[in-house]
Amino acid sequence: MTDVSTVAAAGAINASKIYGKDDSEVRALDDVTVDFALGQFTAIMGPSGSGKSTLMHCLAGLDALTSGRVLIGDTDLAQLDDKQLTSLRREKVGFIFQAYNLIPTLSALENITLPLDLGGVKPDQEWLDTVIDKMNLRNRLSHRPSELSGGQQQRVAVARALASRPQIIFADEPTGNLDSKTGAEILAFMKHAVTDLHQTIVMVTHDPVAAAYADRVIFLADGKVVDEVNNPTSELVLDRMKRLGS
Amino acid sequence: MMPSPVVRLTLRGVLARKFRILLTILAVVSGVAFVSGAFILTDSVKGAINNLFVELRGAVDLEIRTKIAFGDSARAERDPVDVSLMKDIAALDGVRLVEANLLRQATIIKPDGEPLKTSGPAFGISWTGPDGLDGRTLLEGVVPTKSGEVAIDKSSAKRAGYVLGDKVTLVGPIGKGEFTLVGLTGTGSTSGGGGASVCAFDPVTANEFLGADDKADSIYVGITPDAARSDVQKAIEGVLPSGYEVITGEQSAKETAGAINEIIDIFGKVLLGFAAISLFVSAFLIFNTFAIIVSQRLRELALLRAVGASTRQIHQMIIGEGLVVGIVATGLGLVGGLGVAKGITFAFNAAGAAFPAADLLISSRTIILSVAIGIGVTLAAAIVPALRAGRIPPVAAMRPELGFSALQRSKRLVVGVVTLITGITLFSIGLFVQPGGTVGTLGGSAIGAVLLFLGVASLSTTVAAPASRVISRILPFPLRPMTNSVPGRLASRNAQRTPRRTASTASALMVGLALVSTVSVVAGSVKKSFTDQLKASVTADFFVTNLSFQGLPVAFGERLAELPELGSVSPFRATVALINGEEKQIGAVKPEIGDLVDIDIQKGSINSLTDGDILLYKDPARDLNVDVGDTIDVTWQNGKTSTLTVGGIYADSSVAGNWLIGLDTLAEVSSAPPVDFFIGAKIADGVSIADARAAMDKVAADFPSAEVQDQAEFQKSQEDQLNQLLSIVYGLLIFAIFIAILGIANTMALSVFERTREFGLLRAVGMSRRHLKRSVRWEAIIVSVFGATLGIVVGIPLGIAVAIALPDSFVTATVVPINTIVTILIASVVVGIFAAIFPARRAAKLDILDAIATQ
Repeated sequence: MTDVSTVAAAGAINASKIYGKDDSEVRALDDVTVDFALGQFTAIMGPSGSGKSTLMHCLAGLDALTSGRVLIGDTDLAQLDDKQLTSLRREKVGFIFQAYNLIPTLSALENITLPLDLGGVKPDQEWLDTVIDKMNLRNRLSHRPSELSGGQQQRVAVARALASRPQIIFADEPTGNLDSKTGAEILAFMKHAVTDLHQTIVMVTHDPVAAAYADRVIFLADGKVVDEVNNPTSELVLDRMKRLGS
Repeated sequence: MMPSPVVRLTLRGVLARKFRILLTILAVVSGVAFVSGAFILTDSVKGAINNLFVELRGAVDLEIRTKIAFGDSARAERDPVDVSLMKDIAALDGVRLVEANLLRQATIIKPDGEPLKTSGPAFGISWTGPDGLDGRTLLEGVVPTKSGEVAIDKSSAKRAGYVLGDKVTLVGPIGKGEFTLVGLTGTGSTSGGGGASVCAFDPVTANEFLGADDKADSIYVGITPDAARSDVQKAIEGVLPSGYEVITGEQSAKETAGAINEIIDIFGKVLLGFAAISLFVSAFLIFNTFAIIVSQRLRELALLRAVGASTRQIHQMIIGEGLVVGIVATGLGLVGGLGVAKGITFAFNAAGAAFPAADLLISSRTIILSVAIGIGVTLAAAIVPALRAGRIPPVAAMRPELGFSALQRSKRLVVGVVTLITGITLFSIGLFVQPGGTVGTLGGSAIGAVLLFLGVASLSTTVAAPASRVISRILPFPLRPMTNSVPGRLASRNAQRTPRRTASTASALMVGLALVSTVSVVAGSVKKSFTDQLKASVTADFFVTNLSFQGLPVAFGERLAELPELGSVSPFRATVALINGEEKQIGAVKPEIGDLVDIDIQKGSINSLTDGDILLYKDPARDLNVDVGDTIDVTWQNGKTSTLTVGGIYADSSVAGNWLIGLDTLAEVSSAPPVDFFIGAKIADGVSIADARAAMDKVAADFPSAEVQDQAEFQKSQEDQLNQLLSIVYGLLIFAIFIAILGIANTMALSVFERTREFGLLRAVGMSRRHLKRSVRWEAIIVSVFGATLGIVVGIPLGIAVAIALPDSFVTATVVPINTIVTILIASVVVGIFAAIFPARRAAKLDILDAIATQ
């Protein structure tokens, strides 16, 4: 590991998120403190309702905490208004969703450069070429999403997330809609992005096989961080999950 | 009856889509409101006018007047009756009261010296007070009984700023007079004269001031309570000289009201025409909404099919939704019709039309027609979407990408082209062949235009995508094409995404703007032709016209002719006569007309007018096969006949009309009080325009209703009149354009709804609310500019066709007004911005997480 990994790309400090009031109160996040190191591939796991999606949404600036702080780099998200959050998402954060990840009216290349175009930033051509070649999309660039396979679409989404060289990339069940072979392919691409391109990825998943691609797995239950595994294997992850479930 | 699950699903369907259906309802409501408003307005105004005349005829049981030989009874120029007849009539058994009915022009001069402007005519009448036969009421003061006294209708007195006791200057047919205002009159329920100003004098003063020369328009007779009217009528007929007739008071009221009702009916038909245009445009909106809603419900409908709903039931469901929309909208539309009727009355009254105050009448015909039209149009527009919905394969519930089997492109092209060609053919036949007179012309060209619009709307689907691409490349012109930025690129792609939707939304706007383009071409051509004619065939330096349509007192023209500053002066009077069995408009002028208008005399001489000859245009001369020196038999409206010698044949009828006689000839054959419609004058040699003008203005000071204009002013005032008419037409077309704007807003709102997830994604990857709004707005602009372009492309040729079809005496040149086209295009951008306000706001407000979670 290089020394960059000790620097945090993002983090949550005493983060709580409460839905509803009084009797119907639900603590989606309960005093969570967690750091995501630069250049690391982290997976967040946990059963349904454990708060893993909420944590990711709050970390990404899509949702606001009830209390506590979220930092992207050294920026405190609570201090930002909608406009600033928007440009933060555009410049510092990348997204990969489960499905319907792309704008159907835009070509693959246009989808990849979308965040850059939105910010009026000229893409770094060298980086862009690297990303496109890494994702093996060179001969698909002018296609519309409807002309691409599910795996290709998801590779475009990964490329889009990488294109602006963000501080951190959040992936929400990126392989949830894919068959296992294509899913493995996407995860390999994401892994490459971290190891070869020195990107930081945080992935929410419930699939132990997917989590095994990560450098580190954080386990959530009832809105709390309950466990953590470094350099996991799928068996190890499955084992921890079983323990959480019981 | 529909089976109950279908009914339940239908109602649920409507309720679940309240907001999406709301705008559709609004479109139908405005169409129906316009239709019912037109009916309500005409019914109410006609009712009020009939009442007014029944009230005005008050206690008149019988009316004695001179007979006419032909023509329309109410508008005929009758010879006046001799007042000496009254003595003989009064002596008859059963006759209670006899009065002279005298009605002439009399203008009220306001305290500041200006004439009081009225929307209707300015009358002076003979009046014996509320106890007499005339139904006028005395609201304040006393009845005028002697020379120097006048009673004026209360609303005119108020508008002029006079109160009882004031000295009032009036101008009658033979000159000015000073009167004391002693009474304020009203008619029936109102304090006015239905837009007219009415000055009432006692019979002796009226005879004198109104220059009646012991003649009256007719004689009113009231009978004693115990007398039978038919007996009295027979007795009167016994003593009447030949050429006279006696009619009942009811018939008289009916005839007079009928003439006005005809005008109101025309007005009502014009309104209905515009209502039809609005409805046509709303049909596009309804169609579009249903089509979009059906495609958005694809999964739901497929699921229904999968669990056993038949194609028929799906049809019933969608048609049923249309029915619900139609019923609700028609109900609201009828209520809206009351508002429209009130609104139009208000707008026209504000412009000075003075509709009589009337209770709004909703007749059963209004209700039946509104219901038929409102529900009919809605159902017709829902049929195609319903049929499409029925074609959804059940398997689409699981695999939505299977979707619809849309009408094939090639098939649609064929249908569109056939419709378009049929439309153009019908339109041309209606316009140029003109089968079956006015009805055939209007009907043929209207149906043709509808088909033409439908054809273009259908074909526009094919060009929608490329057109959107081109528009987005050149807008916002010329600094930076919108496709250079992400919001612009998205707007452009979204407009191209569903060409069918873009096309039908744009087509709604096309209809309104095509008509605006057509009207502007026709109006531009009329203006140009008028100016050309004025330059080519009019040599007069001055024109005198009347502010109202009553014509000018002849004394004015006579005094102008005496001015040394003027060379040639001729009035233009008009009458009708029967020539060769047909009713013809005849002009009566002085030979000096030759110096004022170039009628291009081919044979004979204008001076023959003074010998009692008739001049005619070359076409009727050819048709009648007459030449100079031949004679023509003429029957005048009062029954007199003349044999006139043809004194000349001319080749330019643009100002003079087809037939001209001398003033003396007219005076010999008709004793109806003459009025001048306009007077032309030419400056004497060596006199400056300013001097001539000053001399004319001096005379005009005694005739305040006369307006003296030089060529430029005359041209401008005619153009102003045309512009006023145009603004009314444009004002009525605004309705249709407004509905089209609703349509764009509706489509955009539905699209925003459909793209919720996409917008969420865009926001997540860093698109600002501002950019999102901009992308929705620009899409709306693309659609509306597309619609405007279609409108111009369709409307201009239509306008040129109409201009060519109009008779040469009216339009000789064809003008395409570039500034109007530019205005329409700029306005369409504004329309797009306006239509996008609500949808754009909605798009920007979407919660990112919710949006992403949407399927």
